[in-house]
Amino acid sequence: MRLFLSGIRKLSRRPATFVTFGLLVGLLVLIVIAVGATANSNVANGNGAERGAAMRELLTFPGAYNRMLQFILGLGGLFAMIYGAAIAGSEWGWGTLKSAVARGESRVGYMLMSFASIGFMVAIGLVLAFAISVVAAVIGANMAGISTSGLSDTATLGDLPLRLVKGWVAVMEEASLGFAIATLARSQLAGIGAGIAFYFGESFASLFLPDIVKFMPFSVATAALSTGTTDVGAGGAAIASLPADQALVLVFVWLIGCLVVVSLFSDRVEITG
Amino acid sequence: MSGTDGLALATRGLRKNYGPRRALDGLDLSVPAGVVYGFLGPNGAGKTTTMRVLTGLVHADGGSVEVLGRPFKRGDRRRLFDVGALVESPTFYPYLSARANLRELAASGAHVPAKRVEEVIDLVGLCDRAADKVQGYSMGMKQRLGIAVALLNDPKLLLLDEPANGLDPAGIVAMRDTLRTLASQGKTVFVSSHLLAEIQVMADVVGIIAAGKLVREGPLKELLSMQGVIKVRVRPNLVDGAIATLAPLAKAERLTETDREEGWLSVHLATDRAEEVNQKLAGAGIYASGLESGTDLEMLFLELTGGQGPSNGEGEFVGLGSPEGQDGGAPAGKGTAA
Repeated sequence: MRLFLSGIRKLSRRPATFVTFGLLVGLLVLIVIAVGATANSNVANGNGAERGAAMRELLTFPGAYNRMLQFILGLGGLFAMIYGAAIAGSEWGWGTLKSAVARGESRVGYMLMSFASIGFMVAIGLVLAFAISVVAAVIGANMAGISTSGLSDTATLGDLPLRLVKGWVAVMEEASLGFAIATLARSQLAGIGAGIAFYFGESFASLFLPDIVKFMPFSVATAALSTGTTDVGAGGAAIASLPADQALVLVFVWLIGCLVVVSLFSDRVEITG
Repeated sequence: MSGTDGLALATRGLRKNYGPRRALDGLDLSVPAGVVYGFLGPNGAGKTTTMRVLTGLVHADGGSVEVLGRPFKRGDRRRLFDVGALVESPTFYPYLSARANLRELAASGAHVPAKRVEEVIDLVGLCDRAADKVQGYSMGMKQRLGIAVALLNDPKLLLLDEPANGLDPAGIVAMRDTLRTLASQGKTVFVSSHLLAEIQVMADVVGIIAAGKLVREGPLKELLSMQGVIKVRVRPNLVDGAIATLAPLAKAERLTETDREEGWLSVHLATDRAEEVNQKLAGAGIYASGLESGTDLEMLFLELTGGQGPSNGEGEFVGLGSPEGQDGGAPAGKGTAA
């Protein structure tokens, strides 16, 4: 528990936390407000009724709840992976893991508690980002003259907590991938770089190997939250996806697998330098 | 482990390879409790590997380690709860202050009372800068903070790797005093260093390793008594005469350059023969303006680690640079000035 609380204190003062959260929320608010401001003019300028309708749909509640959530979890997954890689990599790069081990701390316990504190911060970040995105969507809807009467739709609101929890698990799976890669590389930069390459590589590979890629970490994370049989995967490509329940199981498999790799590697590796 | 009673730290037959390279080759260390132990060795001798093994950062390929009277094997990490360590360069979260770093490091390993953080900050003289982010710290300040981390859990055994690195002279003196005080309180301080002069004035016991093996270990005074040196200063124009006079006494095999400008000579003889040296010079009409007898850890170190061929045991005449230039060669004791 000491390590977990210490991890939260460290992350709450870490610039990477604010930068990651700021980027996610900033992009989200910018896009939502921009959509609100231009939804009507797009139609008026003859850019197509279809596009205008899609923009208006984005800001129409109660559907806007799910669309905000999907947006957050999609972009948030990439950011969480980078964040996870940054945290794990810095423990090796800065040598702070070395200090803890030399004080008699368990290597595996230390790394897993670090990940647990990332999970806590990500949960807070997701809830805050979602709340901000809903506010932004309401503002955007008002700018576009769209009714917000669906805001209080009880069925959608009732589903939200479960969807948020599932989304958090999916995002943490993506974070665990970055965490594991950075641990194996023992480097922040290598972890972040390899994680981003994995993200876009998975998207690219889905064009040629859709039946394999649908089992890969970013694809299963996306599929776990979707309701259809095709979805927008990593990098924005439309890919074949698994049923949500099956995908959720695979999300857990990837998450646990990554943490097992982290544990085994941390326990056995020689800490030098 | 046999023969380890009364030892704070002991290794027996410690072996470690990094690929084909053998870093430790059957290292046997015996560190008595309540002393400052100087751990010396040339670059690549295995000092840092030893420190890493002792702190559980790397695992030995063979041999055994005993920490504070109990075996320390893989998985015995709790034995380190009574150990404080500074291994290689100190490491911190750069975006946190010194105080916050100590607080967060205190969350790992042994339980540390909250007030201990302030105590160690005070002890290493970082009170004024404790709230500043570590990323703005100088190397010396980071070193102080590293020592503070090592002291956090009030350890019974302190393992310090080059603790004087980056410290200013006042900091070195303060650190030395702190370590001596800790030893006087019954704690054991194990210091790895290449600063021989520092070890010579601080350590009670030294261990010298070369190529992963212990080549000499014992109380410093005892080791140095085997390595006497008498330093004589004469007028520069009398240097040749002094060498000629003292050469038979030293039974030197070689006479090397002398610092003629300063007039210093160094005669490797048992230190109790200083009076004889003085008498011999006076008999030849050469009056020494300075005479120091003492022992030289540097000479012993170089001999044992292969940095210099062993002397014939009868004494040796070598040229001596200016005393200030003798890094680590300061004599432990000083005799009479003629």
